[in-house]
Amino acid sequence: MGMKIEKAFQVKEPVDTVWKFLSDPRKVAACVPGAEITEALDSHTYKGSIKVQVGPSVTDYKGELRIERLDDQTHEIELVGKGQDVRGKGSASMKMSGKIRALPDGRSEVIGVSEVNVVGILAQLGARVINEVSNKVFEEFTANFQRQLQQEHAARLKPSGLGAAPQVAAAMPQPGQGTPVGPKPIKAIPLVFSALWAGIIGFFRRFFR
Amino acid sequence: MLQKTSPEIGGMGHPVKRKEDLRFIQGKGNYVDDVHLPGMVYGQMVRSPYGHARIKSIRTDEATKLPGVLAVITGQDLEKAGLSWMPTLFHDKQMVLATGKVLFQSQEVAFVVAEDRYTAADAAELVEVEYEVLPVLVNPHRALDPDSPILREDRDEKTNHIFHWEVGDKQATEKAFQTAPVKTKLDAVFPRCHPAPLETCGCVADYNPATGRLTVWETSQAPHAHRTLFAIVAGLPENNIRIISPDIGGGFGNKVPIYPGYVCAVVASLTLKRPVKWIETRSENLQSTGFARDYHMTAEIAADREGKVTALRVKTLADHGAFNAAAQPSKFPAGLFSICTGSYDFSAAFCEVDGVYTNKAPGGIAYRCSFRVTEAAYLIERAMDALAYELKMDAAELRLKNFVPPGKFPYRSPLGWTYDSGNYEAAMKLALERVGYEALRKEQEEKRKRGELMGIGISSFTEIVGAGPAHSFDIAGLKMFDSCEIRVHPTGKAMARMGTKAQGQGHETTFAQIVAQELGIPFADVTVEEGDTDTAPYGLGTYASRSTPVAGAATAMASRKIRDKAKKIAAHLLEVGEEDLEWEPGKFYVKGAPSKAKTIQEIAFAAYTNLPPGMEAGLEAVHYYDPPNLTFPFGTYICVVDIDKGTGEVKVRRFVAVDDCGNIINPMIVEGQIHGGLTEGLAIAFMQEISYDESGNVQGGTFMDYLVPTAVETPTWETDKTCTPSPHHPIGAKGVGESPNVGSPAAFVNAVVDALSHLGVRHIDMPVAPWKVWKILKDKGAVE
Amino acid sequence: MVNKHLIRVRVNGVDRQAEVEPRLLLVHFIREALGLTGTHIGCDTTNCGACTVLLDGRAVKSCTVLAVQANGREILTIEGVAQDGKLHPLQEGFKEEHGLQCGFCTPGMILASYALLKRNPHPSEQEIRWGISGNLCRCTGYQNIVKAVQYAANKMA
Repeated sequence: MGMKIEKAFQVKEPVDTVWKFLSDPRKVAACVPGAEITEALDSHTYKGSIKVQVGPSVTDYKGELRIERLDDQTHEIELVGKGQDVRGKGSASMKMSGKIRALPDGRSEVIGVSEVNVVGILAQLGARVINEVSNKVFEEFTANFQRQLQQEHAARLKPSGLGAAPQVAAAMPQPGQGTPVGPKPIKAIPLVFSALWAGIIGFFRRFFR
Repeated sequence: MLQKTSPEIGGMGHPVKRKEDLRFIQGKGNYVDDVHLPGMVYGQMVRSPYGHARIKSIRTDEATKLPGVLAVITGQDLEKAGLSWMPTLFHDKQMVLATGKVLFQSQEVAFVVAEDRYTAADAAELVEVEYEVLPVLVNPHRALDPDSPILREDRDEKTNHIFHWEVGDKQATEKAFQTAPVKTKLDAVFPRCHPAPLETCGCVADYNPATGRLTVWETSQAPHAHRTLFAIVAGLPENNIRIISPDIGGGFGNKVPIYPGYVCAVVASLTLKRPVKWIETRSENLQSTGFARDYHMTAEIAADREGKVTALRVKTLADHGAFNAAAQPSKFPAGLFSICTGSYDFSAAFCEVDGVYTNKAPGGIAYRCSFRVTEAAYLIERAMDALAYELKMDAAELRLKNFVPPGKFPYRSPLGWTYDSGNYEAAMKLALERVGYEALRKEQEEKRKRGELMGIGISSFTEIVGAGPAHSFDIAGLKMFDSCEIRVHPTGKAMARMGTKAQGQGHETTFAQIVAQELGIPFADVTVEEGDTDTAPYGLGTYASRSTPVAGAATAMASRKIRDKAKKIAAHLLEVGEEDLEWEPGKFYVKGAPSKAKTIQEIAFAAYTNLPPGMEAGLEAVHYYDPPNLTFPFGTYICVVDIDKGTGEVKVRRFVAVDDCGNIINPMIVEGQIHGGLTEGLAIAFMQEISYDESGNVQGGTFMDYLVPTAVETPTWETDKTCTPSPHHPIGAKGVGESPNVGSPAAFVNAVVDALSHLGVRHIDMPVAPWKVWKILKDKGAVE
Repeated sequence: MVNKHLIRVRVNGVDRQAEVEPRLLLVHFIREALGLTGTHIGCDTTNCGACTVLLDGRAVKSCTVLAVQANGREILTIEGVAQDGKLHPLQEGFKEEHGLQCGFCTPGMILASYALLKRNPHPSEQEIRWGISGNLCRCTGYQNIVKAVQYAANKMA
C-alpha cells in the first residue's frame, strides 16, 4: 500500500544550523518516536529499527536506512529506509526527500516529501489508519526536532551550563558503538484513537471547506 | 400431472410458514460455534503478511512457552504426516500450512492450539516467521509474461498457466464473423468478489480415542464429500468419521471447499486427543477462503443489419489465485460458462478460457451462480446491450428478436447444452408490462432534454443448474447424484433425510412439502433431516441450485416407491385388486366407490400390523437420483435507475424481477430467495470488490471496505413469475436460488450504461461506484 | 498472572456473576461464560450487528463492549425476548413474514428492532430501514424483515 505524504514545518533557527541537524541521520532518527539507529555501517548506511504498537499487536520493523543524496549547497537530503517486522508481520519502506528553505525573517522552513509503502497486516487497515498514524508520527517528530534544535541552541549559549547538547551528542551512537537505551516505542492505541478521531473530523471538515 | 393438495397437507404451491424458524427466532439455532464439548480447546491460524515470499525460518518457542498453549503446528510438522499439501476440488493441490513459500497474503503458515481463544490469539502473535520477500504477481494479464515470477514451484511445468479450455465450432464462428455486416466487441471484467455469508467458516474436530471415531462439526455445504475426502487424504477409515453440518449461517458456495483450518483442527484433535474448535474471523474469511468471479472477458457478436444475431465469440482470462481450488465438476475447468449464448438463438459460437495463477487467495468457487453462470449471463447481457447500442435498436426489441422461440425446445445450443424448456418472450413481456416500459422510455427522452440522467436496464438471462448427469458430471470423482430416504412410522408420521444440506433455503419445509405432495401426509408431520453423514444417505450437497432439481427429484421418486407399496397394502386392506384403486393425495379409494378408501395413515399402521402375506414390514424407501439433464430456469429483470449528477450516485428506483423456475414448491420461500439474490447482485454491481495492490496487499479484506448493503441501500424488489415446467423433472421444478444473483448484475450495469449512453458511454466495469460515474460525467462535460 | 475482575450482570432478568479478564468482550462473556449462544459473531470490525444485545435498554454491538463495562448493568439477549414461554410479536412477525432464512442475523435483528420499536412504536418503512441499518443480512434482502417489524408494530399498537 503506497502513500505519499508531504509536510512542511518552520523552525526558529537559520538554515545552516538546521541543515547541520537534518543532515545527521542519527540526530533525525532520535526525533522520530519509536525509532533508533543501532549501527552505522558506513558514512551513508545505518542499521535501525522502529517500533509501532497497535493494541496488543506490536510491529518491530528492523532494517536499513541509507542516505542517497546529501547536497550542502542546496540543503537537500534524500533518504531511503526499509525494514521487515521481526516476527513476520510485514514490511515497510520509505523514500524521503527533505529540503530546507530560508525564510525572510532568518527562520527556516523544512519541507519533507515521503513515499511510504507498507506490506502486511497494517496495510489491511487501509490508508485511513496509516495516513493518520503518519501524521501523528510527523507531529511528534516536528515537536522533537524543534525541541532538540532549541536545546542545542541553548547549549551553545551556555557551554558550561546544563549541557543539553553534549548529552544529546553522547546519546548518539558512533560507528562501531553499541546501542544506547532504547527509545519509547510509539504507542498507537491512543494514536489510533486520535488518528481515527482526526480522520472523522477530517471527513466532516470536507463538507465545510 | 400434479394434483392439488389442501393447505393442511401443504403440498406444492402452498406458501406454508417455515418449520425451521421456531428455533432461530428464539436464538436456539445450533451453529458450529455454538458447539461446546468438555475439554474443548481453540485453534488460531498464523498467516502470511506477504503476497509472495520464501519462508526462511519459523520460531515457535516463544509461543509454545506461553501458559495455556498446547501445540503449535507448522507446515514442517504436517509434512511428516504427508499432510502439508492437500488436493483441491479441481485437479490441483494447495498447501495446508505453508512449506517453503507463501503465495498469497493471509495464507496459512502455522496453527496454534490453546486452552481458550484469547490465549490462542496471544500465542499467534508470538510466532516468529522470517521471510525473504519475492516479487509479487497480481495482474492476471501479466501472468504469462516472460519476466513474471513463476509461482508454483511444486508443479512439473514451470508456468503460471493452469489450463486452456475451448468449446464450440471455431471455424463456423470465424466464417460467420468474416461475412457478418454488423459486429460488436465488448471487454467486460467481472471483478473478484466474495460470498461473505454472515457466519464465517469453522469446525469442531473431536477425535475420541476411546471409540476411535472422529466427529467433525463443520460449516460444510457438502458433508458427505468432505467425509470421503478426509478418509482418503488423511488415511482414516470412513466408517469412523462422522461429519455433522448443523445449522449453517449462509453458504452461497463459500462453504463447499475443504479449508486448511479444518485439516489443522483434525490433526490437532488426533494429536491432542481433545476436541479442537477453529472458527475463522471475518477478515480471515474474506482474505483466504473461496472467492468468486475474477473473470476477464471479451465477447464478440456477429449479426445482420436487422439485428438478428448469427455468431458469438468469447475469450476469457480466469484468475484463480495461488491454487486452483475451484469447486466445480471435474470436466469443466470453466464450470458451465459455456451457457454464455444465453437466451439467444445463435447459429454458431466459440468460447475459450485460460486460467492463470496469481498471488491471491485460491479458489474460483461457485458463488450463488451454479458454476460460472453469473459470469456468462453478465457477459452476454452486456454484449447484447452493446449490440443494441451499435444498431441504435431498443434493448428489449433486440432481445425479443433473438430469443430461442418456445417451439424450439428442447433446444440444443451451439456450445453443446440441451435446454429443457423455456419461454423467454413470455417472461420478457410480463416484465415490460409490470415496469411500464413504454412510459419509462418516454420519461427518459424528456429527462434527457432537461439534462437529467435516468436509465433502464434489461437482463433476460438463462441459467443452467441442477448438476448433474453422471455421464458428464463429477466432483473429485464423486458423481453428482443426490438422494432421499423416507421412513413412514406406524402412526402415519414420516422422517425424510437427504444428501443435501441447506444453509437457509428452507429444506426442512420444502422437502416436507414434496413428500406431502406425493404422499398426502401433512407437511407438519414430515420431519426433514440433513447434514449428519452417519444417518443421511450419500449426496453431493447443496450449492449450484441443485437441491430441488436433484434431491427434490429423489424425494419425489422415493415417495413414489412408498406409494407403490402403499397401493399394494391398500388393495389388501380393501380386498380389491390394485387396478381398481385410484389415488388422491392422502388416500387410495376404489374406482366408482370413493367412500371405500384407506388413508395413508391407515396404510402406514397396516405396514406394521396387517400386511399382505409375504410382504416385508415397514413403509420406507430410498432413492438415488441421477438427473437426466440439467434444468434451465430463466427470467427477465428490468432495473430503473436515476443518477445524481452532483455525486455520481446511482439510485435504483425500481427493479422488476420475473422468474421462471418451473413448478414452485413454496412461493413464499422462492420470493425470499429472489430478494436475497437480487441484494447480492446489487452489492456486486455497485459496491463490492476484493482487489490487491501492487505489493500484494489485499484491499477489501474486512467489512469496513468490503461493503454489504444494509436495509437503507437495498431497494424494494418487485417480483413476478411465469411457469414453464421442466419436462424431465419428476415434479417439473427447476430450482431458483441462484437466478437472482445470476441475472441481476447485468440489469444494474445495463441500466447505468443506458442512462449515460447518449453521452457516448458504452460500458462501465463493476463495481459501479459513484466516483466512477462522476468521473465519466466530468470527462464527458456533463457536469461543470 | 492476569488481573481478573468480578462482574455482576443482570441477564434476561437473572443475576449472574463471573471473574473475567479486563479484555474479555461482552459477546464472548454472553456466549461462553453464560452459555447463551443465540447472540452471534459475524465480523471483526463492528460492522455486522449479529452480536446486538440490549444494555440497559439500548441496543449495543456486544463485540465492541468489554464485559467489565457491563458490570452492574442489565442485558437483554434473544433468549430473554419471549416472555413466559410466549413468543414476542417481533418473533412472531419474523416467522409470519418470512423474515429469516439462515437465521444467523436474526437474533441481532430482533434486538435492534426491539430497541427501535421502544423508541418509535409506529415507524415508517424508511424509519424501520434506518433503524436496522446497523444489522447486515445476506439472505433476505431486508424486504421481509421490514414486513416483520411492521407486523410487530401493528400487533403491539
